[in-house]
Amino acid sequence: MLNCKQASQLASRFMDEQLPFWKKFSLKMHLFLCRNCSNFSRQLIFLRKASRRSENMSDFQLTDEAKRRITTALVNKQRND
Amino acid sequence: MDEDLNAQTWLDNYGDYLYSYAFLKVKDRHIAEDMVQETLLAAIAAKNTFSGQSTIRTWLTGILKHKIIDHFRRQGRMTTIGDLVDQDDEDNLDYFFQNNGSWIEKSESFPTPESALQQKQFWTIFQQCLSGLRPKQAEIFLAREVHDMNNEELCKHFSITSTNAWVLLHRARLALIHCLKAHWIDSGKNKC
Repeated sequence: MLNCKQASQLASRFMDEQLPFWKKFSLKMHLFLCRNCSNFSRQLIFLRKASRRSENMSDFQLTDEAKRRITTALVNKQRND
Repeated sequence: MDEDLNAQTWLDNYGDYLYSYAFLKVKDRHIAEDMVQETLLAAIAAKNTFSGQSTIRTWLTGILKHKIIDHFRRQGRMTTIGDLVDQDDEDNLDYFFQNNGSWIEKSESFPTPESALQQKQFWTIFQQCLSGLRPKQAEIFLAREVHDMNNEELCKHFSITSTNAWVLLHRARLALIHCLKAHWIDSGKNKC
């Protein structure tokens, strides 16, 4: 039987790769019985959704204007070399 | 290989990643943009030194880290490469779990993503929590969750095993969830 520490590690790993059958099975069993860990597993999904959405935000992505400016600088540099 | 050494391709492929990494450290859009530009210009000049032993992304991130250190130095803040990479990554999970492996703090359910992600305040806190992570955790979280790098890319970029990668990611996620709970969920409660 997994404890919460082990279950949370598996839940996190499951966000990145497929788990072997028995690991996945024991994780699912644990999540079914444990409210704390099933909350954690939902928080992981929340975190993923937030992160993926944040990629389009100006904190995480160059604006088109910045890209144009940098492109110009790169072209000028290569021309002068 | 020729295409790999084209600066415009670097900007297209890694520009956003480099920018978000810089923004996380300097917290200023214009400075972060300038750093991406300086990094790419320096990379053009140093093209011949790229050994092909690391990935282009890793090589560019390395140059960027030095730009960030120079920036802080100019500001009079002493920063060394050690502040941008973890000296020892042996922080364990004891902060979150008791000896018997059960949670120290009960975990609560978060609001639905749809309602949360509309709030401007949420994004400010999200950014702050991300900046507060240990350097390597922040970097790997950014790569995996924000920029959607897969396991193989992570291992190459950070030169780590996939076990290391998921341990780091797990710690980053626990720390972020804990931070969001403290500064966003709990502070919202106090207001009501």
